[in-house]
Amino acid sequence: MIRNLAFGVFVGSFVAITCAARAADAPAEIKLGTLYASSGNFASISMPVHYGLKLWAEAKNAEGGVFVKAFNKKIPVKLVEYDDQSNTATAATLYNQLITQDKVDILISDSGSVLTSVAVPIARDHKMLLIDQTGTGANFFTKDNPYIALMSDPVSSIWPKYVADFLTKDGPALGIKRIAILYSTNDFTGTQATAVRTFIKASGAPVEIVYDQGVPTNTTSYNVTINNIMAVNPDAVVELGYPNNDISFLRNLQDSGTKFKWLFAIYPGLETELLVKNVGAKGLEHVFSYVPSSAIEYKPELGMSLADFHAAWEKKYADAKVEFGFNSVAGYTTGLVLEAALGAAASLDQLELRKAIFGLSGKLKTLDGTFELDEMGAQIGEITPLGQLESDGKDGVKFVVVYPHDMATGKPVYPAK
Amino acid sequence: MLEYALLAGLLFGLYYSLVGLGLNLIFGVMRIVNLAHGDFLMLGAFAAFWLFNLFGTNPLVSVLAVLAVFALLGLPLYYLFVPRLLAAKDPEMLSIILFFGLSQVIEALTTIAFGTSERSIPGNVLGSGPVRFLGQSFPIAWVVSGMASGLAVLGVYLYLYRTRLGYLTRAVMVHREEAVATGIDVHRVSAIAFGVGLALAATAGVFAPFMLGSVTPAMGVDINITSFAVIVVGSLGNPLGSVLGGIVYGISLMFMQSYFSSWANLLPYLLLIGILLVRPSGLLGRQVRRA
Repeated sequence: MIRNLAFGVFVGSFVAITCAARAADAPAEIKLGTLYASSGNFASISMPVHYGLKLWAEAKNAEGGVFVKAFNKKIPVKLVEYDDQSNTATAATLYNQLITQDKVDILISDSGSVLTSVAVPIARDHKMLLIDQTGTGANFFTKDNPYIALMSDPVSSIWPKYVADFLTKDGPALGIKRIAILYSTNDFTGTQATAVRTFIKASGAPVEIVYDQGVPTNTTSYNVTINNIMAVNPDAVVELGYPNNDISFLRNLQDSGTKFKWLFAIYPGLETELLVKNVGAKGLEHVFSYVPSSAIEYKPELGMSLADFHAAWEKKYADAKVEFGFNSVAGYTTGLVLEAALGAAASLDQLELRKAIFGLSGKLKTLDGTFELDEMGAQIGEITPLGQLESDGKDGVKFVVVYPHDMATGKPVYPAK
Repeated sequence: MLEYALLAGLLFGLYYSLVGLGLNLIFGVMRIVNLAHGDFLMLGAFAAFWLFNLFGTNPLVSVLAVLAVFALLGLPLYYLFVPRLLAAKDPEMLSIILFFGLSQVIEALTTIAFGTSERSIPGNVLGSGPVRFLGQSFPIAWVVSGMASGLAVLGVYLYLYRTRLGYLTRAVMVHREEAVATGIDVHRVSAIAFGVGLALAATAGVFAPFMLGSVTPAMGVDINITSFAVIVVGSLGNPLGSVLGGIVYGISLMFMQSYFSSWANLLPYLLLIGILLVRPSGLLGRQVRRA
C-alpha cells in the first residue's frame, strides 16, 4: 500500500515537473514569418489574404494565444511581416531573411502563385515547411519535397474540373460545341488553362476548342482579343485571369456591346465585391464563375461562422480599402489550420508540424470546406462549384449554383441575353 | 481582324501619345527625366475616380479641374526640385534618382490613402453604345478618350507653335544657356512647361480607367515603361514626336495582341531595342528636336 502510494506520488510528481519544465521552456511567442504585397500587380489578392491572417492572429492573441501542444499552454503568436511590393526578387530576399535572420518558427508564403513560386525552393533548401496560403501552381507540389502544404485553395489543376465537366456533360445538350479559352500566362491561370484543355480533350464529348490563346498578366485592353474570339464564333468562352485581367476583359466586353452566349471568368466569383465595384452588376449578369467559400456556408468546425467572420471583417476593416471575399477567407483559414496543427504537433520541428497538418487532412472543416491534402501537400478537399451570377434585384449580384447537380440551386441561363 | 487591329491601334495610339507627351515635354525643356510621370498619371486617374464617385462629375469636366490643379502643382514642385538639379554636374542622372524617390513616395501615400484595389469609372459615362466606324465597332469610351487625347496634343502644338510662351519654350529647348543669354526667364518658362507636363500626365490619367480597364496606385511603373517606349520611338526631347511614337506603339500593340498575344508585354522593349539600333534619335530625329 505504502509502496503503491509512493509510486503514485513519484509518477505524479514526475508528470507535474515535466509539464512545468515544458511550460517553462516555452517561448514567449510563436513567430509566424510572412510576406504581403501592399503595392504592385498582386496587391489586390495579397492584402485580403494577409488581413484575414492578421484578423485570426489578433483574435487568438486576445484570447491569450494559441494552444501549443508541444508546451501544453497557450502562447501568443507574433506575425513577422514584410512587404515584398509584388516583386519576386524582393520576396526571395525577404523569405531568406525570415528564415535566417528572424528565425521564424513557421514560414507562411505571400498570396498567389507568382509570389509563392520563389518561396518553394527557399523553404525546401532550408528544410522549413512552407505554409502555402493560396499558391496553387501544380508544379509546386512534387513527391520529393516534403516541405510544403497548401492551406486554403485547391491546387490549380483541379479548380476548373466542374467548369470542364459542365461544358462536356451538360454543354452539348444546351448547344455548346465550340469553346474558346483565353488565359493569362502565369502559374495560377496557366495551370487552369492546361487543366481545362486536358479535361475537355479527355472527355471525348462532342465539343472542340476553337480558340486557345494566352496573354500577359499585365494586359489591360482586350478589345482586339474579344474581336478575335468573336471571329471564331464560340458557344462558350473560358477567360482565366487575375482581377485586373477580369476587370478589363469584362469592361471591354460591356463597352463594346459584345455578348458571349456563355462566359466564365474566375474573379467575379472570388472577389465579387471588387468586381461589382469595377464592372457593375449589369456587366456581371449571367457570367459563370467559381462559387467561393465566401458565398457558401460550409459549416466550419473551427473558428467563426461565415456571417461572424464577415461581421468581424467589416468591423476591423471598416474603411473598405480591402474588400471582403474569397481571399480574406483564405487568410483566415490559414490561421485556423495552423491553430489546429499547433494544437496537435508534438514539437515545433518542421517535419512534426507537417505530420500534424497532414494529420488534419480530411478531418478538418473550415470556412473553405474540407481541408484535405494529397501526399505532396496539394489541397484537394476544397471544391469549386460552378455558379452563374444573376441580378439580386438591387445593385448587386447573387450566385446560382449550377454544377455539380447535387449542389445546384438553379438552372443555367443559356444563351446569355 | 487586320482592320480592327489597325483602327483600334490608331485610337490607342492617340491615347498613348498623350501618355508620353508630358514626359517628353519636360525632358525636352529641362533635360531631366521625370520618373514620377506614371504616378502623376495615376493621381489624375484617382482624382477623376473620386470626383465621379463623390460628386458624380463627368470625367470630361474633371479634365478641366485636373488640368488646372496639376499645372499649378507643377510650379512649386519645379522650384523645389528642378533648379537644384540643373545646377548639378549630371542633372539627367540625378533627376532619375530624385524622381524615382518621388514616385515611390506618391505610390506609398496613395496606397495608404486609397488602398490597393482596382478602381474604375463606368464606361457609359462617356456615352452609351459602341461606335461603328468603317464596318468595325469600338467602345464609345475609347473614341471619346482618343478624341480628347487628340485635342490635348493639338493644344500642346498651339502652345508651342502659336504662342509667345511657346516660342520662348522652344528657345529653351534648343539651347538653355543661349536662352539665358538673350534674357529669357528660363526658370519661369521651364516652370510653366513642368506644370503643363504634369497636367498632361494627369489628363491622360483621367482617361486611364476607360483605356486601361482599371487603375491602382501601383500602375505608375508600367506607364513609365510605355511612356519611354513612346517617346524614344518618336524622338526623345521632341514633344510632337510623341504623337508618332504613340501611334506606332498603339498599332504595334494591337497587332501583337492579335497575332502574338502571349508576347505582347515584350513590345515596349522590342520597340526600344529596335529603334535604338536602327535610328537612335527616334523616327522624327533631328529636325524637330532642335525646334
